[in-house]
Amino acid sequence: MTTMTRAIAKMLLLPIFIVSVAILVKGYTSVGDGFGAGIIATLGVLLQYTALGSAEAHKLPLVAVAPRLGLIGLIIALSVAFTPLLRGQPIMTHFPPPGASVLHFGTIEILTAVAFDIGVFLLVFGFAVGTIDLIALAHDERIAQQGADSLEQQIKDEDR
Amino acid sequence: MTVLVPLLIALSAAPLAALIGTINRRATAPAAVFLAALSCGAVIWARAAGGGTFTRPWSPTWHLSFAFTLDGLAILYALLATGIGVAILIFAAAYIPLHLAHQGRSQADEPRFFVFVLLFMGAMVGLVMAQDLILIFLFWDLTAIASYFLIGYDQHRNEARTAALMALLITGISAVVILIGFLLLHWQHNTFLLPEIIQQATPGTTHTVAVTLIAIGALAKSAQIPLHFWLPRAMAAPTPVSAYLHSAAMVAAGVFLLGRFYPLVHLSQELLNGLFVVGLASMMIASLLALVRRNFKPLLAYSTIAQYGYVVVMLSFGTAAGVFGATFYVLAHALAKSALFLTAGAVTESTDIDDFKQIGGVGRSQPLLAIASGIAAAGLGALPLTIGFFKDELFFAAALARGPFYTAVAVLGAALTFSYVWHFWSSIFLGPAKTTTKPIPLAFMVPICILATLVLLGGIIVGPAANLAIAAGQVSFPALVAKTPAYHFDTRPENLLALATYALGIGIVITRRWWYAAVERFAVFGRQVGPERIYRASLAGINRLSRVIVAAELRDLRGRLTTVLVPTALLAAAGFVTTPTEGAYRISAFGWQDLPLALALLLTMVGAITTTIPRSHLTIVLALSSVGYSLSIAFAFFGAPNVALIMALVETILTILVLGVLSLFPHDVLIREHTWQEPRSLRYRDYAIGIIAAIFAFATAWSTLSQPAITGTVARDFMLMAPEAHAKNVVTAILADFRGLDTLGEITVIWIAFVGMLTLLRRRQVQR
Amino acid sequence: MNVLLALAVAVLFGSGTFLMLKHDLIRVAAGVLMISNATTLFIMTVSLHRGRAPIYPLPEDQPISDPVVQSLALTAIVIGFGLTALLLVIIFRVYGLYGTLSGTAHPKQEESPEEIAALARHQRPLQRSPRRVDAP
Repeated sequence: MTTMTRAIAKMLLLPIFIVSVAILVKGYTSVGDGFGAGIIATLGVLLQYTALGSAEAHKLPLVAVAPRLGLIGLIIALSVAFTPLLRGQPIMTHFPPPGASVLHFGTIEILTAVAFDIGVFLLVFGFAVGTIDLIALAHDERIAQQGADSLEQQIKDEDR
Repeated sequence: MTVLVPLLIALSAAPLAALIGTINRRATAPAAVFLAALSCGAVIWARAAGGGTFTRPWSPTWHLSFAFTLDGLAILYALLATGIGVAILIFAAAYIPLHLAHQGRSQADEPRFFVFVLLFMGAMVGLVMAQDLILIFLFWDLTAIASYFLIGYDQHRNEARTAALMALLITGISAVVILIGFLLLHWQHNTFLLPEIIQQATPGTTHTVAVTLIAIGALAKSAQIPLHFWLPRAMAAPTPVSAYLHSAAMVAAGVFLLGRFYPLVHLSQELLNGLFVVGLASMMIASLLALVRRNFKPLLAYSTIAQYGYVVVMLSFGTAAGVFGATFYVLAHALAKSALFLTAGAVTESTDIDDFKQIGGVGRSQPLLAIASGIAAAGLGALPLTIGFFKDELFFAAALARGPFYTAVAVLGAALTFSYVWHFWSSIFLGPAKTTTKPIPLAFMVPICILATLVLLGGIIVGPAANLAIAAGQVSFPALVAKTPAYHFDTRPENLLALATYALGIGIVITRRWWYAAVERFAVFGRQVGPERIYRASLAGINRLSRVIVAAELRDLRGRLTTVLVPTALLAAAGFVTTPTEGAYRISAFGWQDLPLALALLLTMVGAITTTIPRSHLTIVLALSSVGYSLSIAFAFFGAPNVALIMALVETILTILVLGVLSLFPHDVLIREHTWQEPRSLRYRDYAIGIIAAIFAFATAWSTLSQPAITGTVARDFMLMAPEAHAKNVVTAILADFRGLDTLGEITVIWIAFVGMLTLLRRRQVQR
Repeated sequence: MNVLLALAVAVLFGSGTFLMLKHDLIRVAAGVLMISNATTLFIMTVSLHRGRAPIYPLPEDQPISDPVVQSLALTAIVIGFGLTALLLVIIFRVYGLYGTLSGTAHPKQEESPEEIAALARHQRPLQRSPRRVDAP
């Protein structure tokens, strides 16, 4: 990979994350949801893996903790779903209730449904990045193995 | 709320200890002792504060509630579980490191032991306090799970694993039997709350069946014949576990359950008769078997079966005296038996011997241990000045009230107990010293001495123990009024019977030479035809069956696919045969506005067909992704931008993932796969099957799409409801709100898939 | 139009089935993915009404696409994605254990000793001799 590709890939990571977060929080008003946002963010990370190599990409701050983020996401989603039970409401009752006014933050609405979507986002991100990382790891091992094999072969040839 | 304090402390003990264990391994044991002592203190405090009940419905539709009580019965068993738990844990704090070193295992395994003992303790406290049948069942199973891990603690030993599995299967299957009994009770009374059921209960067939099922489960847990064989096997566990299992947890849980359901059990005379038979058989057979054991722990194990047999017999009398005797018996037995088990552990640890033939004269080098365990043995053998004397006195009193036959049985049972306890103690501590002993750590001595002191104290000042037992007995048998037992120096029948017992016991001991061979032959016979054989045979049978099924189904991948696809195809075909064809297939108009969609669909089809032509894997992956992208375009024309977006994204990431996985395989392997030519017949067969499948799919899809549209569906409601849910995008609102549970299921699937991948790939690194 | 849609579903399903019958595990995975694609397309086609995207503000006079099938399709896609990824990893493991990508043994082509040695080299981490799935 050329220096150019590496530099551009690094520069693109942040914008990609911003796009994904935008898709996440706007999901309730426009196209997109937690799942799509998670995949977009993952694609950003995937770009790093292809451009920088897995060793370097693995050290990126969000990547190292991706599986844990996934678990956190699952916990968020589950707690959003099951917290209403404690108040005697059915599962997945969202807050604020229908008819109540919603807290706006610019065009972003603050809802428990959005929190649920954030859980989905984190889970998908953790899942997809974790998968990529696992496969990249297996890939590196194979390359290392091949290297060792060819070295072994060389030594054998020399012995002969 | 008072009632919740001991429960919460006991239940949180195991997680807390686990947490401490991850921080500092060495701190686990002291922390576990502290937590158990805290739980014990909490039970005592709650008892002083008056106990009480706590009931909160949590799923009224299904009649489920959090219902706990701290009545006399709960206090007795909770005190046993936590108090003996403390003693056991002190012992284990010194024993487990030695045990692990002995077996050459890593000390990192240490915290696990304490966590599971505390889990066991918490489960017992929960079990004894629960008033809701489902809660009882949950805690009941939790004790089985904890015991599984504790019995199988030496997981590298085959016998430990077998024993753990056996205990889990026997008590687990019997737990299901109990659950059926609970559900029958619920069906009859429409509630899961035990006090309500007891109020409404009337004798009848359903009632008898339900309570009999519950009793069967309880008897299996208490290791009563014929479901007793798991308990001697469970000796494979480390000694502190055995001590705990036998005295205060697991086995005690069985008779506890009988005590808890006694108001129901009491209603059925047939059941009481059944209990008597089982209890009597356990008492006699296990006592005989205990007499001829060659090793320490098996003798104590059969002794436990016999002792709980007494308890069951007393419960089967159905009288106040019987219930009082039973509860008191459990208490006295727990103290003495745990001390004896710990003695066995201490002796084995200090001499490396667990065989009566090789041991002897340990009392010379360990006088304190000899005295302490002598007191405990005297307690089990019912000598005066120990708590055990009263347990037998109550037993005799209850038996006398029933008649001469019962009295004779009681005396014989007690005499047998006396003789095997004597055998146990005298073989170890008396006679010439046969071995050298290592010094015994203080942590071994302390719990044994504490328990022995309690046995002695209970024999001198019997009031507190008797009060505990009376309060517990009143829960089982509300009409119970009992006097605190005391020593009477006169010729009342109980005293005479006790003397007769000692005489008979001494007689059995002296005549050992003459009957030994006969009893041993009986034991061998029992091993050959006993229920354990049936257990093993059925286990082997189930294994064989599963192997047959596996062999039939999993021969190869195609065979497996066939077993799924052929029935599916047959079902679809049956659907076609039975559906009228008239008007089922219609051709709708094709407008120019459909052209982009049609083009996208055409692209999809081309891509799909490309994958079926033998090409390299790369081509297949690219064709696949082209299918995905064209589908995404098609969805965009369906007016489904959400789906189109996700489809494109998923396709991108999947393509890269597949390529990544492909790169993991050596090139020659891939080449070999796609250059290998199948026999022509096979290829034609595959084409034929593919085309038939396509025709089916075509017919299904076409007939579905020919149906006229239905109006007023849930879709319209969702669209109208979306603004109320503060959403503008109806699809997202459905995903996150209206059908949020589906999404929850979906992300759970994703997480499970991820955990699966982690396990599959991590395993590879571990095996290196 | 409905015939064309049905045809597309049928072609996807048929080629998916065909791929699943192959001995090559990667083709099998591709077949599973293809059938899941066919299912998604089928779910989408059975939507009761097709039109504009169901995003507020909704147009008054035009038909609107059925949002329920869309969310169903989304769920199907996501689960398909997760399962395909898992399937790929399983295939990789199968290769690691058996040294082959074939769900059934090739009836005629046996491995030469050199090939077995080559496989053994790749499989060193597992310390298990490569073996093939026994032919029925």
